[in-house]
Amino acid sequence: MLTLSCPSCGANVNFQSKSSVFAVCSFCKSSLVRQDMNLDEIGKIADLQDDLTPFQIGTTGMYNKEKFEIIGRLKVGYKDGFWNEWFTAFGDERVAWLAEAQGFLAFCYPYEATDLPEVKTLKIGQAVDLKEKGIYEIDDIRVVKCLFSEGELPFDAVQGRKSTSVDLTGFEQEMATIEYAAKETRTFIGHYLDFDDFQFKNLRPIDGW
Amino acid sequence: MAGNADIPDVPNPPVTKPRVKMFACPNCGGSITLRYPGASMSVVCENCQSIIDVNDENYKILTKFFKQAKPFTPLIPLGQRGSLKGKTWEVIGFMARSDVNSAYFWTEYLLFNPYYGYRWLVEDKGHWNFITTIKKKPESNLRVAGIGVMGEVLTLDGKRYKVFNSGRTQVDYVIGEFYWRVVIGSQTNTADYIDPPFMLSCEKDASEVVWSTGEYISHKEIKKAFKLDKVPDPIGTAATEPPRAKESWGKMGMLWALFLAFITCAQIWLSGTSPYEVACDYRGIYLQNGKQNDQTTPVFTLEKEKSNVQITVHAPVSNSWFYISGELVNNTTGATYPFERTVEYYYGTDSDGAWTEGSSESALTISAVPGGKYYLNLDTESGGYATKYKDQYNLKVVRGVPLYDNYFWFAFFLSILPLVSWSTMRQEEASRWANSDFNPYVSSSE
Repeated sequence: MLTLSCPSCGANVNFQSKSSVFAVCSFCKSSLVRQDMNLDEIGKIADLQDDLTPFQIGTTGMYNKEKFEIIGRLKVGYKDGFWNEWFTAFGDERVAWLAEAQGFLAFCYPYEATDLPEVKTLKIGQAVDLKEKGIYEIDDIRVVKCLFSEGELPFDAVQGRKSTSVDLTGFEQEMATIEYAAKETRTFIGHYLDFDDFQFKNLRPIDGW
Repeated sequence: MAGNADIPDVPNPPVTKPRVKMFACPNCGGSITLRYPGASMSVVCENCQSIIDVNDENYKILTKFFKQAKPFTPLIPLGQRGSLKGKTWEVIGFMARSDVNSAYFWTEYLLFNPYYGYRWLVEDKGHWNFITTIKKKPESNLRVAGIGVMGEVLTLDGKRYKVFNSGRTQVDYVIGEFYWRVVIGSQTNTADYIDPPFMLSCEKDASEVVWSTGEYISHKEIKKAFKLDKVPDPIGTAATEPPRAKESWGKMGMLWALFLAFITCAQIWLSGTSPYEVACDYRGIYLQNGKQNDQTTPVFTLEKEKSNVQITVHAPVSNSWFYISGELVNNTTGATYPFERTVEYYYGTDSDGAWTEGSSESALTISAVPGGKYYLNLDTESGGYATKYKDQYNLKVVRGVPLYDNYFWFAFFLSILPLVSWSTMRQEEASRWANSDFNPYVSSSE
């Protein structure tokens, strides 16, 4: 783990994953961009008002008998709602995402997709060839905006960051997400799982429950 | 709610009240309480029944009402928590929906658990189903999957769901809060498929297709789970009502088939292993159109401990009859087994052509005859002959003949209960499918 100090308030800022290039100081909420050992403050992250989720930074879970820990979060909103993308790290270099929307949980890994269709040409129901991962069908195309970020993340997750999020499904519980952002296009492949499958620990307390 | 076994691992289980949010209704100014800010997207004002978008900074009004009549009262009050399927659920929303064409309506309860998300309880004529939205898609037997098409069968997780109903559904009434922007009058195309007690449902609108699975829950379980004083008794047979008669028929039918197979095998084995020994082959004299009494056969041996004896009588009858009465006598004990038999054969021609009736041979069986030395006492009589000569008849005694009567009777009695069970099952299924648009129990030529 890499520990740097916040250029704004001097508090320790931890980077558990080498792939993290962005962090939010847990103390002063400064949004920080990392370049090697340097941290630059690029703004502040405003607090979230209504935030109901069972997860938090530090929640651990099991996937394929391996333990992962939540180290960052991106909350995105679109015109009909919002969802959370929890950035998770295993004990080694591997990272993954836990997507949480209306009680549905999808666990997915980054995938280096090639020859993806242009974002403008996408339609619901269209088949997308993810090569050796198979053919997936587009369920949803949403223009989303970053509402909130915390912890460490592998890209600059400043509030207001816009992207187009495309949800796809394959066979069985297989799912994929393609995120078309200004600078980069990221693809993830994973599947839907039940809450109890993860054996979560250190969950966020929810008032009244 | 501290100490709930179903709440997952949380460091310090909270005993606080839910963090509700209160704001003034932009329509009537009344106070609105949002139970789950951060999860709910829209809420209904308790005072004026307007629907408010809580994701909008200015609390935009989605559907405007003022003191709308309250045509529906939820059987489970909003805010009530209950334990179903091993988890605690809170009722946060209630809606009444109806079929656009038939105006047939039912009610739906939105359940929420902040860890496990949303579920639905759908109540229809006192029958309840527990519904879970799924991300999986079922496979259709049709190449071009329609929604709710005759003959459609969907497969998901090893279950086969038959199409039950399809139609267009609209939202008539809502109270509480919802995870989307609920709109009165909004319509979706819906189809239900059943594999009782399970159900698979599809809702399709312009922007998305949502699949869900359901399972029948008894009204007693609902009453207990939500600690209700009273829930209405169910009326009729629900689409997903557990197929009890079908299950008992399934079990009984299986046993029936097993027993039939067993007794059939036993019968075949007995037939194959029957000794079929000719103990006595006797030729006797009789008088045409007369009586010939007090004939006695030589003594013969019947082998084995106890078995049946078949006596076959053959006489050359032709438009005449031959009657024999006798007794099988045990030469040692004197035990007797009386019998009588008539052999007759007629033929002729009439307006329909040639006809025949009867046979020159007849057989009878005496069961459970102990082994030993035996002889027969025989009296004969005959009539209808044109002549008055003496003639010969033949009498054969066979030991250990395969019998079929017992087998057929056994099979018959064994079949009564399964047939009743099958008919009960048919009735139950007919009653279930009576509410379906795709009822296989009526012909489609109505």
